[in-house]
Amino acid sequence: MSSDIYAALSPEEWSILALSLKVSLVAVAAILPACFCIAWMLARWRFPGKLLVDALVHLPLVLPPVVTGWLLLLLFGMNGPIGRWLSDVFGITLLFRWTGAALAAAIMAVPLMVRAIRLSIEAIDTRLESAAATLGASRLRIFFTISLPLALPGVLAAIILGFARSLGEFGATITFVSDVPGETRTLPIAIYAAMQMPDGEAMVTRFAILSTMLSLGALMLSEIMVRRIAHGGRHVI
Amino acid sequence: MGVAMSFDIDVSRTVGGRRIALTVRTDRPLVALVGPSGVGKTSILDMVAGIIRPDRGHIAVDGQTLFDSDAKIDMPPAERHAGYVFQDRRLFPHMRVRANLLYGRRTGISVDMDDVLDFLGIGHLLHRWPRNLSGGEAQRVAIGRALLSGPRFLLLDEPLSSLDRHRKSDILDAIDQIRMRAPILYVTHDIGEAERLSAMIVTMAGDD
Amino acid sequence: MKPPFLRAFCALLLLLSANPSSAANDRGPVILAAASLQDVLAVAAVEWARQGHAQPVLSFAGSSALARQIRAGAPADLFISADEDWMDIVEKGGLIQPRTRADIAGNQLVLVTPIRQPAQVKMGRGMPIARALGSSRLAMADPDSVPAGKYGKAALTQLGVWTAVSPKVVRAENVRAALALVERGEARLGIVYATDARASRKVRIAGIFPAWTHPPIRYPVARLRTSRHADADAFRTFLLSPKGRAVLARYGFSAP
Repeated sequence: MSSDIYAALSPEEWSILALSLKVSLVAVAAILPACFCIAWMLARWRFPGKLLVDALVHLPLVLPPVVTGWLLLLLFGMNGPIGRWLSDVFGITLLFRWTGAALAAAIMAVPLMVRAIRLSIEAIDTRLESAAATLGASRLRIFFTISLPLALPGVLAAIILGFARSLGEFGATITFVSDVPGETRTLPIAIYAAMQMPDGEAMVTRFAILSTMLSLGALMLSEIMVRRIAHGGRHVI
Repeated sequence: MGVAMSFDIDVSRTVGGRRIALTVRTDRPLVALVGPSGVGKTSILDMVAGIIRPDRGHIAVDGQTLFDSDAKIDMPPAERHAGYVFQDRRLFPHMRVRANLLYGRRTGISVDMDDVLDFLGIGHLLHRWPRNLSGGEAQRVAIGRALLSGPRFLLLDEPLSSLDRHRKSDILDAIDQIRMRAPILYVTHDIGEAERLSAMIVTMAGDD
Repeated sequence: MKPPFLRAFCALLLLLSANPSSAANDRGPVILAAASLQDVLAVAAVEWARQGHAQPVLSFAGSSALARQIRAGAPADLFISADEDWMDIVEKGGLIQPRTRADIAGNQLVLVTPIRQPAQVKMGRGMPIARALGSSRLAMADPDSVPAGKYGKAALTQLGVWTAVSPKVVRAENVRAALALVERGEARLGIVYATDARASRKVRIAGIFPAWTHPPIRYPVARLRTSRHADADAFRTFLLSPKGRAVLARYGFSAP
């Protein structure tokens, strides 16, 4: 049975799937703390320029992905200011590397992730936090014992949505890191490349089914999480 | 300075064009705030607990100044050691009863856990989730959580609501005992409760 | 409040819906062409239009992507591929009109490098291309599908260096995308057509692949089965005429 499943994809296809998962996992893990901080700021703080921050966060959602990829290329390319700095100081190259694919995927996942986390932070009953304060809890303790656990369903939803978004990321990735088999050839890029090949039909079909299943599963999982937020918010007794 | 006042409060705050104000200065251990709903009784408790900030005035409990707008004193809520029993209870929904009760435990608190569980009758609820408690059970857990934090004073907001008559009288007895140890600011709309506790009664009225 | 806005909206709708019918006569045939023909076909189209024809609609991409669109039933008039293989596939699919296939031009394959940070490599068997790249990459069109990439892979294989260099290859969707990577200095070397190298001021030719290293580069044109435009064959004939050939030659394309 399990050998049947294994045989459904060729070794090359398995490695493409593995690379896609790696890129998406790293992208989400790397961007999650930043997304949480931004979501917290947007949900809880009032500051000048909040509207601008909110718009900037949502920009990758509406900007043509090619533009995002092009901007990444300008900034992180061999001749880009950040790219040169990273390479001179740390010896890190993002261009044409899987790390660059992860960066592109992470940037594209930001709007979805911030939104999911922000909603769950806004759903937290702040009266519970003040109750914890009267019981002697420090701000830090309140954050880790009350706010964060109550926001957790949203954080999980953000992780799943961000992961699914990263798996599907194409435009910014191909613009920024192109197609390097084994480095940046993720699922969507492999599908696109296979579509150009005269006999690529079968591979396209297998990958398309795989992508659809992964995305569908992720969306359903995140929907369950979102429902739990909606209920969690009313659990104050 | 003479005898320490249990409550020395003189605050005012304007919320949405409505002024909430209270002046109390007494050495009696139990003060009941009575008055129609919407007059700002809960806001007074919130100010004493440090959750909301008065526009001006001062708050001192048991000789300790918690807030003084002239002296620029505003002690954070975590340091005031209030045992606040909220009208809406505010049990933490993601923690079991036991974790709720222990949330405010600090080292060096003399209040005995078993005693509190015993006289509130909540020993059997420790492993339940707050959402599975009846109104009366949740109320008693909320009182227990406040007591177990070893408070310097208690703020009780309608603590007898949603309790049956039998339990009400138990809790009233308990409050009677506690006031020997810590001053209590008690909010109720039922003047009978206040009289039964032979509290100092302060009537708040809207000033519109 | 609303009526003026609504009226404006309706007017806009009318305008938009009226436009295609009036423009239909002005619209020339739809040409799907290999990316390397971008500049030259634009000029050829203008020149043809000057003879009193409607300006053709040009769509450029890798020949593989275009072939895919044609196989999916794209309503177009002419297909100009950068190699015979893709034209063969389209022809075998019964998607071109019989006796309309002909070669319009030939080309050369070259190695380019950015002018600002050039890499040095001497063309020849066993050339040290991987060493010349260092930590950088070789940009080329997808060697599995796009003609420029297939020619490039064939050439590097003939020169005995494909295995060494293939891990350093960045695959672009078409030859112009590969050229752009070299122009920006993101890749130190790239494989493009001689005509692409000529079209760019930011790269220079590091070497020309000898003709024996790869199949001959030819651009076949054919009229598609779905073609309905009356002028489609006229443009095809123009490209094959001395006038058309002259335009192609001006841009460095050789005779087929």
